[in-house]
Amino acid sequence: MDRLDDFIRQRAAASTIALIDAREAAATFGRTLPEVEEQALLLDIMPLRYRRNGLGCREQLRLLRARVAVIGCGGLGGSVAAQLARIGIGRLRLVDPDCFEEHNLNRQQFATVASLSRPKTETARTVIRSINPAVIVEAIVRPFSEADIEAVDIVLDGLDDAGKRLELAAYCNKLSRPLVHGAVREWHGQTGIATSRNRLMATLYPNVREGSASKPPVNVLAPTVTLIAAIQAAETCKLILGLDSPLKRSWMLCDLLEDVFEHIPA
Amino acid sequence: MRVTVKLFAFFRDGRFKEEGREYSTGTVVGDIVDELGIGRDEVGVVMINSLQRSLQSPIADGDVVAIFPMIGGG
Repeated sequence: MDRLDDFIRQRAAASTIALIDAREAAATFGRTLPEVEEQALLLDIMPLRYRRNGLGCREQLRLLRARVAVIGCGGLGGSVAAQLARIGIGRLRLVDPDCFEEHNLNRQQFATVASLSRPKTETARTVIRSINPAVIVEAIVRPFSEADIEAVDIVLDGLDDAGKRLELAAYCNKLSRPLVHGAVREWHGQTGIATSRNRLMATLYPNVREGSASKPPVNVLAPTVTLIAAIQAAETCKLILGLDSPLKRSWMLCDLLEDVFEHIPA
Repeated sequence: MRVTVKLFAFFRDGRFKEEGREYSTGTVVGDIVDELGIGRDEVGVVMINSLQRSLQSPIADGDVVAIFPMIGGG
């Protein structure tokens, strides 16, 4: 480790280390890129890609050590996953049984003409590796299970079905994992942090039964998805960094027609 | 009795944002939803005077009833 530390210190410029040097360190010392970046942060040396995050090395280290599951990797989930990879969340577990279809192209981050018929999570993993190769991405092509929740610290709701959301919330409650909720329809979206205390999902979906039959897909616009996903990504980082948020006590309804954001007590 | 009804998101389409309306004694929130042509299975959160209530909750004179749609897409 001392030799790796010396290498990192030697290559560091203005307390940052470039990707090319981190990669050389990984190859030279038989380490993975995430291991090298973690070691750099422990030495108070920031990987260059994160410099403009404006966070301290200790904060960036907390993000790097975080494990986040993104359940559903379509509109919300895909956009959230890309943002979390850019900001430096160290481990992403992407879970979705579906492949991209043409009607996903209007709003889903990783849906391209070339990715049609390909599994969403595997496509996302390929793109995320090109964005940030220091993120460890697990691409899981099946419906979510309790094991997916147990494996992480925080869960992101990228589902498109209320009954499945209640099922996911039940796992999160059981395992005491915060669930960063998001949902969208047309020009409107909602977001909040569901915990075993506030039972947010039961509040938002009072007339739905867990595991009830899916409803037909609703219409969704890309700006609504991007907005709600951005809030989910921000809330996830705040949870990891121990920052307070109004969304721990309320949920938020966003109206992109009126440009109104309303907090409603949870 | 006079009740203020507030609608949110796409429930406003072709209806209103906020309106004072007359109802008879014994009316429950579900009756308002029915009267407005909203499917009960489309309704998410319902509040009376900023407290969460259900479609079965009775309303009283002067109440403010807020009706939010269920938003479930992803």
